[in-house]
Amino acid sequence: MAPHSPGTDQIDTLLWIGFAASAIVIVAVLGALLYAVRRYRGERGAEPRQLTGGRRLQFRVAATLTAFAAAIFVVSIVFTEKAREAPVTGPDGLEAASEEPLRIETTGQQWLWRYDYPNEAFSYYKLVVPVDTEVELELASTDVVHTWDVPDLAGKADAVPGKTNHVFFRADEEGDYLGQSATLSGQAYAAMRTEVEVVSPEEYEAFVEQRKSDIQAAQDRVVELIENGETP
Amino acid sequence: MSAGRAELVVDGFPPRRPRWAQIATSPDHKDVGRVLIAASLGFLFMALVELLLMRLQLAIPENTFLDPVTFNRVLSLYGATAIFLFAIPLALGFFYYVAPLQIGARGTALPRLGQLGLWFYVAGATVLYAGFLFTPSEAGVNPLPPLSELAFLPNNGVDAWAAACGLATLGFVLLAINLLATLRKLRAPGMAWRRLPVFSWAAAIASWLLIVTGAVMLAAITMLLIDRNFDGIFFADGAGGAPLLWQHLSWIFYSGTYMLILVFALAAIAEIVPAAARKPLFNRDAVIGSLVAIAVLGTLAWMQNMLTAPIGLGWMYFAMLMSLALIVPFGLVFFNLVATMIGGTLRLRAPLLFSIGALASIVIGLGAEISHSMVAAAWQLKNTTDATAATHFALVGGAVFGGFAALHWWFPKLTGRTMGETLARFSFWTMVAGMLIAFVPLFLAGGIEGQVIDAYKFFAGEGLDAYNLIATIGAFVLAAGILMSVANAILSREGGVVAGHDPWGGDSLDWFALSPPEPHNFDVLPDVRSARPLHDIREAIGHRAARAESAPVERESQPVA
Repeated sequence: MAPHSPGTDQIDTLLWIGFAASAIVIVAVLGALLYAVRRYRGERGAEPRQLTGGRRLQFRVAATLTAFAAAIFVVSIVFTEKAREAPVTGPDGLEAASEEPLRIETTGQQWLWRYDYPNEAFSYYKLVVPVDTEVELELASTDVVHTWDVPDLAGKADAVPGKTNHVFFRADEEGDYLGQSATLSGQAYAAMRTEVEVVSPEEYEAFVEQRKSDIQAAQDRVVELIENGETP
Repeated sequence: MSAGRAELVVDGFPPRRPRWAQIATSPDHKDVGRVLIAASLGFLFMALVELLLMRLQLAIPENTFLDPVTFNRVLSLYGATAIFLFAIPLALGFFYYVAPLQIGARGTALPRLGQLGLWFYVAGATVLYAGFLFTPSEAGVNPLPPLSELAFLPNNGVDAWAAACGLATLGFVLLAINLLATLRKLRAPGMAWRRLPVFSWAAAIASWLLIVTGAVMLAAITMLLIDRNFDGIFFADGAGGAPLLWQHLSWIFYSGTYMLILVFALAAIAEIVPAAARKPLFNRDAVIGSLVAIAVLGTLAWMQNMLTAPIGLGWMYFAMLMSLALIVPFGLVFFNLVATMIGGTLRLRAPLLFSIGALASIVIGLGAEISHSMVAAAWQLKNTTDATAATHFALVGGAVFGGFAALHWWFPKLTGRTMGETLARFSFWTMVAGMLIAFVPLFLAGGIEGQVIDAYKFFAGEGLDAYNLIATIGAFVLAAGILMSVANAILSREGGVVAGHDPWGGDSLDWFALSPPEPHNFDVLPDVRSARPLHDIREAIGHRAARAESAPVERESQPVA
């Protein structure tokens, strides 16, 4: 994973903090266990002193642990809040999106992702978005629960039937970003992948216009065939 | 005239029925506990077979060993087997066998209810595997609606899953009710709650967990069955139902179960470590209080599993708060266990070895879970193999390493024989190697490359090949290690070294009963005057012996303890 959006930058930092916290816990406990076993291993010997610990020591340990947990809690909230801030469209982004985010309706269905662009064009599998532009995906599902997951651009979010979920990102570099579904959705789940192609705003405009006219042409062709009495 | 009279020699009463029928129809807590333990070890074997099938499929990219439908069936079966047929009944089996002995009870309060619970569990297992013969569930470890609804999986696989897990859960709840009633009503004179052994406390905690969260799961399963078979709308969106409802209900149960397994393992270890170190537990109250806190906080953290679902941010923070709060009680238990070892003379026999393995494995899993509880980090990590690895470190640590620690520890009580030490060591180190080789690569594949869970294949050229191949090899090593211990248990039943009533120098009353105990557990019971009744007896005997040496003539007879 390599973060390519302000949100994933924050998530990446938080992941490293989480990794450090995990490492501290694991090293501390494993170290203490290893020390105790190596130091006090003995098959025989005098009966050891029947030591027990008082309540005050327990409170001290509990207080230390509480402080550790509280620190992680606070840091997580700070970074989570930063990560979910809607990123503002930058100077290289799509001009029309400078006030409002570029809203794209994203629909999960067995086993494809469908993207509906503002101009009524749509695409399956591949999402094309302009670089440096605030994009908001409105996640929905027509059948079962899916999870939209393009790790470089945004955190995961579930598409649940009857609910809308939102994903914000602002891609900082043109290129292709691969993604997948992350919730078991049936037999073709493993193949339910997606791709986000980040292009310049001009290319984006050209793409959605092209898609729109292609779709219109295809529909016209079907209508024509039906009118001629043929099976489309 | 010299012909002697024929002598009639009777070795006890001749059995009226074959042994298996005797055990199958016995409401005795020791027989029920033994059947639960044996059955769960059998299902551990089945879970391993299923795990290995899935790992074989995932050994190389775009493998065609299993087709996707078969993979999903094996996956669903693995989840149900590992949780409902192995981990919970293993923990319950030990609680059910040991807790009545530890509190000095001569039986259980509602023996027939417990027997009914056992047979509901057996019925559930039968339904699950009978279902596997024709149409198993394809809906995964946790069958989320709408995928598990009739519209998407119209065959009766999910119904079989629901019936099986429902029956088993009902059985666990009945067993838990009997355990709680026994713990409340049948404690020996002097066995106040403050003197109850940690493992019996854990039995009470686990019973409460099952009664509360098991009831929730039973409700959810009933709703799913109604949805599928009687046109229900509980989990159907748009018709007044909500798919998220199932997620809440089921995660309450699964989170409770997660905690139950860890409470079981930590409590068993809290029995083993003091005896192995020949010291009392560093602070009993702190350990018991922490186990209660783990059960409560852990269950309240159910939404930690739903951090990518469309729920309010406030609820996500609530889930994070409950999850991170668990650091305190878990940390206190670890602290007290290590503090118990310090200053002791540790006898590093198999039970302690497996205990240390369990603690190490659990702390790796729980340490990794910290990142999965931090909201934004969870958005990246959730449903990746990083989560698979964390869950397996924690739960294999609890149920398999911890379960084997308990098995080696109480095996002399169960059978009158000790498990072989050499094979135990081989098994232990193979399991340790297997855990690390199998699950550390999954941490990396999920954490670095974002490989998703539950998928029947992965694609070449995405940096996942090496991780998955190594993980598959590790799974085989792990399985070999686990099977060594299972084989050890089977071989030692007849061939182990004969053990006395108290082979480890334990402090609780289970070591006062014979090995294996009589059907009525105890002929007589000592007065319980502390949390360590057997330690008191050993001390009293020691004092008497010392007095006898110094003043042999004036020795007076003293009641023991």
